[in-house]
Amino acid sequence: MGLIFTFLKKYRVAAIVALSMLLFELAVELVQPLMISKIIDEGIMKSDLSVVWLWGGVLTASAVLAFLSGIASSFYASHASMGFGYDLRDKLYEKVQSFTYPVFNRFATSSLITRLTGDVSQVQDLVFMSLRFMTRVPLIVIGSMIMALVVHLKLGLLMVCTVPILLLFITWVIKKSAALFRVVQSRLDSVNGVIQENLTGIRLIRVFVRMSHEVSRFAKASAHLMKGTVSVLRLTETTMPFIFLIGNAGIIAILWFGRRDIAAGSASVGEVVAVVNYSLRTIGALSAISWLVVSFSKGRASAMRIEELFSTDNDAVGHTQAEQKTPLIQGHVEFNHVSFFYPNNGIHVLEGISFTARPGERIAILGATGSGKTSLVQLITRLYEENEGTVRIDGIDARKLDTPNLRDAIGYVPQEVLLFTGSVRDNIAWGNEYATLEQIMEAAKRAQIHETIEQLPQGYDTMLGQRGVNLSGGQKQRISIARALVRNPSILILDDSTSALDVRTEAALLDSLTDLSCTTFLVTQKISSTMSADLILLLDEGRLIEKGKHDDLMSRSPLYRQIYQSQYGEEAQHVQRTY
Amino acid sequence: MFKELIEPFRHPSPELNLRAAKDSEGKKAKAKAKNWTVTLGRIWTYLAKHRGKLALVLVMVVLSSALALLGPYLIGVAIDDYIEGTGGQSWIQFLLLLSAVYILFSFVSWLQNIWMIGIAQETVYRMRTDLFAHLHRLPIPYYGKRQQGEIMSRVTNDIENVSGTLNSSAIQIFSSMLTLVGTISVMLWLSPLLTVLTFTVVPLMALGMRWITRRTGPLFKQRQRNLGDLNGYIEETLSGQRVIKAFSQEARVIQGFTQRNDQIYRSGFWALTISSFIPKLMNGLNNLSFAIIAGIGGILVIKGSITVGVIIMFVEYARQFTRPLNDLANQWNTLLSAIAGAERVFEVLDEDVEAKDEGSSVTLDHVEGAVSFSQVSFAYEAGGATLERISFEAKPGEMIALVGPTGAGKTTLIQLLSRFYEPSSGTIRIDGRDMTSIRRESLRSHMSFVLQDSFLFEGTIRENIRYGRLNATDSEVEAAAKLANAHSFIVRFAEGYDKKLSADGSGISQGQKQLLAIARAILADPSILVLDEATSSIDTITEIKIQEGLQRLMKGRTSFVIAHRLNTIRKADRILVLKDGRLLEQGSHEELLKREGFYSSLYEGQLKGESMGLGS
Repeated sequence: MGLIFTFLKKYRVAAIVALSMLLFELAVELVQPLMISKIIDEGIMKSDLSVVWLWGGVLTASAVLAFLSGIASSFYASHASMGFGYDLRDKLYEKVQSFTYPVFNRFATSSLITRLTGDVSQVQDLVFMSLRFMTRVPLIVIGSMIMALVVHLKLGLLMVCTVPILLLFITWVIKKSAALFRVVQSRLDSVNGVIQENLTGIRLIRVFVRMSHEVSRFAKASAHLMKGTVSVLRLTETTMPFIFLIGNAGIIAILWFGRRDIAAGSASVGEVVAVVNYSLRTIGALSAISWLVVSFSKGRASAMRIEELFSTDNDAVGHTQAEQKTPLIQGHVEFNHVSFFYPNNGIHVLEGISFTARPGERIAILGATGSGKTSLVQLITRLYEENEGTVRIDGIDARKLDTPNLRDAIGYVPQEVLLFTGSVRDNIAWGNEYATLEQIMEAAKRAQIHETIEQLPQGYDTMLGQRGVNLSGGQKQRISIARALVRNPSILILDDSTSALDVRTEAALLDSLTDLSCTTFLVTQKISSTMSADLILLLDEGRLIEKGKHDDLMSRSPLYRQIYQSQYGEEAQHVQRTY
Repeated sequence: MFKELIEPFRHPSPELNLRAAKDSEGKKAKAKAKNWTVTLGRIWTYLAKHRGKLALVLVMVVLSSALALLGPYLIGVAIDDYIEGTGGQSWIQFLLLLSAVYILFSFVSWLQNIWMIGIAQETVYRMRTDLFAHLHRLPIPYYGKRQQGEIMSRVTNDIENVSGTLNSSAIQIFSSMLTLVGTISVMLWLSPLLTVLTFTVVPLMALGMRWITRRTGPLFKQRQRNLGDLNGYIEETLSGQRVIKAFSQEARVIQGFTQRNDQIYRSGFWALTISSFIPKLMNGLNNLSFAIIAGIGGILVIKGSITVGVIIMFVEYARQFTRPLNDLANQWNTLLSAIAGAERVFEVLDEDVEAKDEGSSVTLDHVEGAVSFSQVSFAYEAGGATLERISFEAKPGEMIALVGPTGAGKTTLIQLLSRFYEPSSGTIRIDGRDMTSIRRESLRSHMSFVLQDSFLFEGTIRENIRYGRLNATDSEVEAAAKLANAHSFIVRFAEGYDKKLSADGSGISQGQKQLLAIARAILADPSILVLDEATSSIDTITEIKIQEGLQRLMKGRTSFVIAHRLNTIRKADRILVLKDGRLLEQGSHEELLKREGFYSSLYEGQLKGESMGLGS
């Protein structure tokens, strides 16, 4: 937990002030029984009214002072804990954003979300509680013990004896319940996982009529969570009754010996009353522990989950060693014996790929499902890094380029459409925040979506839901193409991003891209899109088996001819025999 | 140093419109109170299942509260009679009585908590599963209108809120109230005068609480809203991470995050600060009443109207009197947020479920696969029509292709067939029977869909295919995978069919996901198969192979196919050409070509792809 509390350093003044004000409040509370015993012994017993008035007045004044310092300490405590939470959340989000894509993918998105929200709040609460209560309990306990010993050594000792037993018990409960809470937390994670999955796949579940299957799956996860919660809470709830039991036993002992001492003349009535009073306070303070135990063990579990993120480092390949800043990327892309596999499995997705794309050229990438097309273009965006060979951009090893600098020059349209909450205009401008409305419209026109947008109820200001629900699949694809175009990229990557477009729209779109000066990578299944390419890369199981123009490949490559025939030839049905 | 000391007080004061709140308070308060009673009543219907056990808990709470009152009283007696005085009866007997009271108190309060936790968690469990099951009964348009994250937070955060409160606060609130009533009665019995004096702090308390809660209420709500906003932002930027990285927009999203974090900080600071005044206020007033009792009580003792023991008891009772108030005040905010949470949960439960199947609705054992649309129109929102007077017939065993530009209404037509949406006019018939007279689930169990986004669950490849038919054997799963041409890539994984897929389906390509979705649909063995751009990311050679397999499989079954590649479409028995929600043409490939209408121009366009794609 140490790492996280370095975030408190910035607020140490506020924290210290809050704690010292707490001390003052506590001191007032602790001397009250003493004052009352004075009122009884010196005032009432001796029938001296002036003493009663004096100490009554002191009591009142101290109460007012303690109240004021309590209010002030509220400000300091929330300043420190809110600031702490704010900084922690900000830094954690920055940390997550600094992860390279492979490292980012190591964590489930849902788990990152809970860490950034729930876990940070949990730790923040812990800090706030610590500044207000956590310290209060030990201080009251220790203070009461000291005061009891001061008032009457022998009777005080009786009370002090009970404390170690209680502390031992409480530590045991904390240890045990912290472990149980970790289990509960992970079960909550899996309950949330089922919910998220069901909401995303709701249509599929409906059409397959698997509702009862899913409900029983959820009920199982939920019952698991319930059992875990019940067992940990039942453990923590034994704390309070146990504390009362032991503490009250101490009071009985004090009464027993107190009476004997009074009879023997070694203790006064006021002293016995005061010690009993301190015991009651100690028990009261300790009884609050049962829920402090809960928040402490929860906070501990959360702190560990946060620290895991902070201590995750990006793999020390490339990325950090940016030596050169290229002011302007021309769009010359060269692959030299590039091989690649995904971190989680060792199967080669790409093997020994070599080709050169000159600025302004159109490169079509063709190949069977799973042949490595998407992986290839992802290496250009540096979402992943090659394992062997080199990727050169404008003649410079991409590993030595400043990645953000390079990405600024790339317009990337991923296969799966990802739009953000906001208006159509926001979504297109997302590619270039300084884009004027004219530039946005220009990009939309090229992406063949301008007319559709104009017909929307609020035109460019129409809001899109989280998943862009009002638009059809093809319309969403075109908005995400416009988003890439508005960047004026030197390298444009279209990863099968026209699959939902009808042939005419697609042709018009590709046509409108021809007068752009950027190098275009076009992952596609359609021969109609490859015909216009300056270079076609034909992939098969991760290897580049052919490259060239359409006519070259038609004459050289049997696979290419088969693909062609599958789309144009009547003899397409016969393909299977020869393939 | 000085700057740091003064900083906490320099936060801009919260924007609260207290006057406006005051004006509408009268009207709102009534409506609110009614809402609360309704919400609490519904929580009660859940709790009522444990009526017997709850009654026992209640008895325990009454008992433990009584014992909690008895403790200090006995100590007062002990001091008056045995410590100060000479004592009437046997001292040992008295101590034994005190011990018995203490032991019983510990036991009873332990028991009540253990039982209550069981009841509370079981209740929360039922609420959670009810809500979840209800989500599966809601009509699909409900999901179109809402953010996924928003719905999700109701099943997670809001339920957790209720859970936390039921666990501890329920008992605490009840016992606090009991203790309060009990304490006041005992105090009145002991010394009415001192009681009245102690109560001089009560108006102060009420005033302070009012001042605080009127501010914290709106502030907490504001904070929850801000928190929800931040959650949504995090979810979106994390799921869109690929785009953010590729567009190098990290700095921008971090800035957006900081903005939202800022808002939480602002509302959160004041919510926290002001709400933490509550215990301070209670403590302060507690100390004040302490002073009043000690001072004035002392005078009364000297005047002989009360004894020292009474003062000791009073001091203790005064504490017990403010403690439940303090607890209530502390619980107040959590109680409010729990009620708000429960309200949000019930809101979902009150949403209308998919229009109930009519009483006369039937369950079909067998479906031939004849589908007919007659004059079917549909609009997502009142006003613009998405589909207009669509009529066609599909005979059992026919393959129907839907073509047309994007946004023509092809997917919408499929959504009507799956009864996600209901037509605004016209009828859809299955085997000559009005579709609305067939039970939804029965209808869907004879159909199988491959939807546009090929969603896969977290789990193995085998489990994902088997989702199509849960009792399918391993060899049936493999046969379906072979037919979908997925087998060859599956066996290339070291784990084969037991390869785990992560929730976002990463690790396999988009096209491979579609192959698995097709295998899943095949395994379901439907009478009607619907493929909505099911092969868009699959290469054309594989596509042809899948089609050949499907053709064999679909003998005697009806299929609907949405596709853009004309070679897929060409083999269809009937092609429906849609444009702007209207059915322009229908017929076989040859018929449509002869007609030289929209379809033939589309076809020509694709064949001449060269010229159009080349452009310049």
